[in-house]
Amino acid sequence: MAREKVGALIMLLFSVAYGVLSTQIPLSFLSHQETFTARTMPYALSVLGAFLSLAILISPTVDSSGKHSLAEETKGMDWSTAILLVVVMLVFGLTMKWFGFILASIFFLLVGFWILGERRKKRMLLTAIPLVLILWCIMSLLLGVYIAPGEIFYQLGIL
Amino acid sequence: MWEGMISGMMTGISTTLIPINIAMVLCGCFAGSLIGMLPGLGPITAVALMIPVTYGLEPTTGMVLLAGVYYGAIFGGSTSSILINAPGEAATVATALDGYPLARQGYPGKALAIAAYSSFSGGTIAVVLMMVFAPMLASVATSFQSADYFALMILGLTAVSAFAGRGGVLKALLMVVLGLMLATVGTDQTSGIQRFTFGSLELLDGIEFLLLAMATFALTEALMLILKRDASSDSLKPKMIGFKSLKVSLKEFKLITPSILRSSILGFFVGVLPGAGATLGSFMSYGMERNLAPPEEQKKFGKGSLRGLAAPETGNNAASTGSFVPLLTLGIPGSGTTAVMLGALIAYGIEPGPRMFVERPDVFWGVIMSMYLGNVFLLILNLPLIPYFARLLAIPRNLMVPIILFFSLMGVYLVTFNDFDILMMVFFCIAAMALRLMNFPMAPLLLGFILGGLMEDNLRRSLMIYDESMSFMWERPITLAINCTTLFIITLPLTRSILARFRR
Repeated sequence: MAREKVGALIMLLFSVAYGVLSTQIPLSFLSHQETFTARTMPYALSVLGAFLSLAILISPTVDSSGKHSLAEETKGMDWSTAILLVVVMLVFGLTMKWFGFILASIFFLLVGFWILGERRKKRMLLTAIPLVLILWCIMSLLLGVYIAPGEIFYQLGIL
Repeated sequence: MWEGMISGMMTGISTTLIPINIAMVLCGCFAGSLIGMLPGLGPITAVALMIPVTYGLEPTTGMVLLAGVYYGAIFGGSTSSILINAPGEAATVATALDGYPLARQGYPGKALAIAAYSSFSGGTIAVVLMMVFAPMLASVATSFQSADYFALMILGLTAVSAFAGRGGVLKALLMVVLGLMLATVGTDQTSGIQRFTFGSLELLDGIEFLLLAMATFALTEALMLILKRDASSDSLKPKMIGFKSLKVSLKEFKLITPSILRSSILGFFVGVLPGAGATLGSFMSYGMERNLAPPEEQKKFGKGSLRGLAAPETGNNAASTGSFVPLLTLGIPGSGTTAVMLGALIAYGIEPGPRMFVERPDVFWGVIMSMYLGNVFLLILNLPLIPYFARLLAIPRNLMVPIILFFSLMGVYLVTFNDFDILMMVFFCIAAMALRLMNFPMAPLLLGFILGGLMEDNLRRSLMIYDESMSFMWERPITLAINCTTLFIITLPLTRSILARFRR
């Protein structure tokens, strides 16, 4: 199946799901009498999305680059590295509150460098630590923005 | 009209010549050139990355900085196209066609100098044209009502899709609809009803525009570099020979001057069309020059022709400037990058559209006049710095990609201080990557998202004014004219294919 057809199929399902969810938007008693409610736009978009998705699915693929299948297009791609980076970003988001900006950011950069094949520790440390500290100094000291330290510092009794 | 223009120019000059604004033009051009030079990172990413920096600034200063980043990034993209045949984005692909062969023939300095002069000329001529046409359009648009705005937004969204290219119209329209769908998430501004929040407090205010822009462009671009294992970005060692010679002879100047003049005018008017942008500007200018060139010169195109290099470079800069016309006068972005800038304007609390011309002349004229300064800075400061900038291309990818990811995530986190936003960014990044792999464009999505709220408001208001009748779509001549244009644009691909069949 051509990759853009796969996309259209996903978008069709998404538009239908969006339309179904639109019916669950709560309306006040008064707004039931109105022509234009909080549901109107979502309904219209859901119908439009489904119509366009169907049109892509039915019509022949003109764009030559869209004719490739997803398997052909993604063949040889470095999935493992990309997935690892996505996981590290998620971990970064989840640990930011606990470790605080400085520790979480340095950890993120070091792991990111390592995933991409960098093994020279000195180079990694000399890039990550000054970068994070400079950004922290600009935000906290220069612009006066309060960046909360991590919860861990309170738990350990350091702060 | 001329009096208004002169007083506007004076406002613009006095706004631009404030030290902080001069510094911001300089910083913008510099940062834009650096970011735009990195393969895979185009002006949209550059502007999105710089938005968090502008949040603490005055709206005019912020817009001046973003405008500088925009044309700096276009210029930076040309540098990587010429030196390593790795265009930062689609608008500089045409530059690589003749710029890279010229660099390989041992003239990287000359190629870069011609690119710089062409960009400068294209940008400057387009600013002059903009000064004439933007106030004219804005003064007409001040009589616009909600119905006209609604029709204009439909036109803007349709136009973006119409220029998506063969087979891309439906996909671009679908992405516009997806953007509009995402814009409905959060609390409905009029009724106060929550929509698609799933009980989450974080979604009550809707999806942050910056978050979506960073996730769909900056994060996605960086991860795509990893996914595609782009060989050109593994060892980006530019050819440093010949950098010392940035000289262009008088004969060469004479050869490229007519091309620059023609491409400036063509590029500007292409850029003014909502949705056309710099890519179309550069390719159309390249095509025009190739068609106009004598047979002998035509053979050189694609092999290092000076005219082939000057035309797209002029065209993309003129179109970038031109795309500010619909943004500043109608509040309708002319390209993906100006869509991001429109989001920034809304975030500053400025209502984009013709009222801005009357209510915030400092922003309107400040941005226009800062472009003059930006073009001068790009020429006199960036040109001698090119050899040093080019060293950035030698920074290994394994250090550069995590740094881009880090700045993208921090760009949002340091504005909202909400860890949930980081997780949401990752989610949108994965979705955007999937859509890109399925050949769906991202710029229309962002445009739909930014215009979604405004469009719904104007539609609701129009219906109220016209007693819940759809007659507002045709009652006013101006609305009718805009709607007819939209209809023409929608049916254009169909008409083209029917005509092609007849010809066959």
